[in-house]
Amino acid sequence: MGGLRKRDWWMAFLFVLPVVVILLAISIFPMVYSFYLSLCRWDIGMGGQRTFIGAGNYLRLFSDARFFNSLKNTGRVLLFGVGTQFALGLSLALLLNRSFRGRSLVVTLFLLPMMISPVVVGCIWKIIYHYQYGPLNYLLNLLGIRSVNWLGSGSISPYSIVLADIWEWTPFMVITLLAGLQAIPDDLYEAARVDGANRWQIFSGVVFPLLRPVVIIAILIRVMDAFKIFDLVVLLTMGGPGQASESVAFYNYLTGFKYFSMGYASAMSYVQLAVIVAIANVFLRSFKGRAVV
Amino acid sequence: MRRRDGVTVAVFVGIFVLLAVALAPFAWNVLTSFKEKGEYFTYPPVFVPSSFDLEHYVRGLHLGGAKGIKDSFIIASLTTLLAIALGSLAAYSLSRFRIGGDNFAFWILSVRMMPPIASVLPLFLFFRFLRWLDTYQALIFTYALVNIPFAVWMMKGFFDELPVELEEAALIDGCGRLGAFVRVALPLVAPGLVATALFCFMFSWNEFLFALILGRSRVVPITVNIAGLIGGHEILWAEISAVSIVASVPIIVLAILLQRYLVRGLTLGAVKG
Amino acid sequence: MRKFLLFLFAFVLLASVAYASPVKLVVVGDAGHNLKPFEWYAKDLKEKFDVELEVIGVPFGELYEKEKVELIAGTGAFDIMIVFPKFLAEFAANGWLYPLDEFVAKLDPKLDDVTPGYRDFYCKYGGKLYALPYDGDVLSLYYRKDLLENEEERKAFKEKYGYDLKVPETWDEYLDVAEFFTRKAGEKLAGEVLQRDFYGTAYYGQKDQIFAWWGNIFASLGGVYFDEETMEPAINSEAGVKALEIMKEIHKYCPPDVLAYGYEELKDVFLNGDCFMVIQWPCVGKKGADPAQSKIVGKIGVSHVPGVKKDGEIYYRAMMPCGRVLAIAAQSKDPWKAYQVIHYLSVVTSLDDVSTPETGLDPYRYSHFAHPEAYEMFANVEDAKIYLAGVQKNMEKGYPEMVLPGTVEYEETLGVALTKALAGELDPKSALDEAAQAWRDILERFGKEQQKALYQELVKGWKAVGLW
Repeated sequence: MGGLRKRDWWMAFLFVLPVVVILLAISIFPMVYSFYLSLCRWDIGMGGQRTFIGAGNYLRLFSDARFFNSLKNTGRVLLFGVGTQFALGLSLALLLNRSFRGRSLVVTLFLLPMMISPVVVGCIWKIIYHYQYGPLNYLLNLLGIRSVNWLGSGSISPYSIVLADIWEWTPFMVITLLAGLQAIPDDLYEAARVDGANRWQIFSGVVFPLLRPVVIIAILIRVMDAFKIFDLVVLLTMGGPGQASESVAFYNYLTGFKYFSMGYASAMSYVQLAVIVAIANVFLRSFKGRAVV
Repeated sequence: MRRRDGVTVAVFVGIFVLLAVALAPFAWNVLTSFKEKGEYFTYPPVFVPSSFDLEHYVRGLHLGGAKGIKDSFIIASLTTLLAIALGSLAAYSLSRFRIGGDNFAFWILSVRMMPPIASVLPLFLFFRFLRWLDTYQALIFTYALVNIPFAVWMMKGFFDELPVELEEAALIDGCGRLGAFVRVALPLVAPGLVATALFCFMFSWNEFLFALILGRSRVVPITVNIAGLIGGHEILWAEISAVSIVASVPIIVLAILLQRYLVRGLTLGAVKG
Repeated sequence: MRKFLLFLFAFVLLASVAYASPVKLVVVGDAGHNLKPFEWYAKDLKEKFDVELEVIGVPFGELYEKEKVELIAGTGAFDIMIVFPKFLAEFAANGWLYPLDEFVAKLDPKLDDVTPGYRDFYCKYGGKLYALPYDGDVLSLYYRKDLLENEEERKAFKEKYGYDLKVPETWDEYLDVAEFFTRKAGEKLAGEVLQRDFYGTAYYGQKDQIFAWWGNIFASLGGVYFDEETMEPAINSEAGVKALEIMKEIHKYCPPDVLAYGYEELKDVFLNGDCFMVIQWPCVGKKGADPAQSKIVGKIGVSHVPGVKKDGEIYYRAMMPCGRVLAIAAQSKDPWKAYQVIHYLSVVTSLDDVSTPETGLDPYRYSHFAHPEAYEMFANVEDAKIYLAGVQKNMEKGYPEMVLPGTVEYEETLGVALTKALAGELDPKSALDEAAQAWRDILERFGKEQQKALYQELVKGWKAVGLW
């Protein structure tokens, strides 16, 4: 749209102003305050004296094996959870991207898992996963498959959480990607077909490049939210057995609101922020150019 | 062009199977809402409850569920309106004028990335200072921190899609910038607006931690109320399911009403053609 | 003069309004049935003490942080608080609670009637009274009476172990009985072919409370939390390692997913009749009498948790995890009225409240144990008697949770170490060493000297009542 004229600049400025004001007004105090806390030792269990210790909390984090374990588990959710959600979401979106009777109904039904609050999703899956009394193992048994120790085994429980997360959030991917697919004009398909491209060539050569911006937003939002995965962990396993399935948000919650080591918890939050900002940056940068951003 | 070939059949089978998988836990939730105490954890699992009366629904709603739904509805609607209204203004500005550049846009998004744990206590102190504890506005503005960045980024995508020529034509016709925005750009992205609103509404409807800490007795959103049914000695599974189903009705109705927009909506903006 | 009269008039008006409107007190506790008594007696309390109650229920799992955030910020939002005893010390140490000693002389809370654990550790801090008991949790051994009396099983047991089948009183016997009753699907139990696996026992495996199931063994072996002189963690002592080794043995006779067990799962496996015995909270006994949720009504026996034999006597200690006490916030608008309210619930109506199936509250006074006929959930007084006698035995030897500031972190880190050993990741000794190291770090952060002083005071109390 060419260079900004002065009047336009004012207008542009006024348009972003409310957002900036609100975001700053509400987030600046918490940001500054918690950053200050992250430089303090503040174990509120006793007396609540706050002492400035500089980078002490950050140094402590680097020797905290439990923190790295929880990061690993969150990474697992990002990799397998969001990864599967994307793969499933894309396939479903492709399947649903052809008109058939009752499609609106089917699309709405696919939305249902996302509409139950996460607390309840945890409750539902806790029953479903129960070793002796859960319907899942019961059905597996009927198929001749041995019961799976969904929640009581340290090597399985992190994946049980991932599975429930996949169930809950695949719909987000489906909807977003389906919308993206529908925007692609039919004549592009036709043109490719006339050129003799097969299904895979059409997908990889025409569809996916056009879909890329949607893919980026969908994955980015999901990655940001999956990084905060908490409710499912609390309700399904309490991070257990032991610390096998603790997510970083869960461990952060423990340190902040159970142990009340506020300084340490704040430092942990800032490290998380740095990690997710880095992930988002790398992600966006690698798509820069053709991306929506 | 639509052939009833093997591929089509496979597609429908695939959709059907995935739909069944997606709906099974939801169906389980519905069934659970009718179960009696002895029917939650038994062998073999009880699939069909012994009775289908609505006692758990009545009880759940009496145990604060009704108020929870009301509170959540007020908070989620207002925060959604706020996010959509302000978010689309900012998005328009970012899209058309690239104000502040990429870094500014990223800063807005990064507000959404802040882990909640670090901000709960400071926000509590902040709202206490404003005397906003246990009020709707505290949660409305807190959720705005999550929803505004989301709305800005989604809407920016939609505006990026709109051909600039349409607005330029309006400008030449004598509309001001504002007129071009209100009369031309906004109506065109209305579907996108709707889709973004639905997601914002859902994010606010489902939030728990801030709702717990910033509310008390006047404001008890539905998630806190449901968590309250998970007691130390007693988990009211059926009531939890019942309340959750009632609580999901507004979102489902909204989704059905907006369904046409939902799919068409995201379409417009998200893809750069 | 007119001005003066106007003033007087206004003053009288204000005073009469103030006099007429009752004091409004805010009660906070974990949402659900344990808050019901505050609603039941609202009318009585208004008539008697001229108070109006506003009851706020907070989700059970988050009660602590909700209360604590409000207390840290000093909002003065609450008057009466349901507090889990393990947090009492911490709240009191920060000066957030109102000491009740001044009221005791005016209105006797009948503390002599309260079992020692609750009286001396769960209501007091630093020698002062800060709370009155409300819910008496203690772990007891629940077992299948019917299977224990089965002739066929008795014969088989005697053949295998060389002594008569009986309620296990020592950990060795516990292991024998657990092993004996662990059966695969297809095997016979009491003459009937099992359709699915039957387990000897089970325990609470989630890391937040698992310490208590290990603690039952640890305490009976004479284990203590710290060395009171040096404040060195004593959980990795010989007693600790031995206790964990016993627990690993017990683990063999448990359901495979036992490490995911919380209260609900542990209760269900027993009440569904899939497990011979569990160590559990008192409400399991009460729920076991309810046909709607129990498949073993009338088949449940209750006894003290096992211990070790010392000089011909059984030495046992039952952990008292959880529990609830009523405390008054230091910022309360009217502590005296608040005290009258909690006194009413802890003394006057308490028998009704712990004996009804409407609440989840459990007995904590000798007078509660003396009235089996009050417990309506049991089909007959005999069952109630068995239940109460069993619980009382444990209550009298109740071994308190650690009640120092920082308890949650101590218990959690210990729990994590225990699960590591039980899952086979670490051997018992190294797991407990790891926990001890974590405890040293916590001590360091909370201030070792301060913690030591508090701990020594606790030990003095424990010794005074003979529980150490």
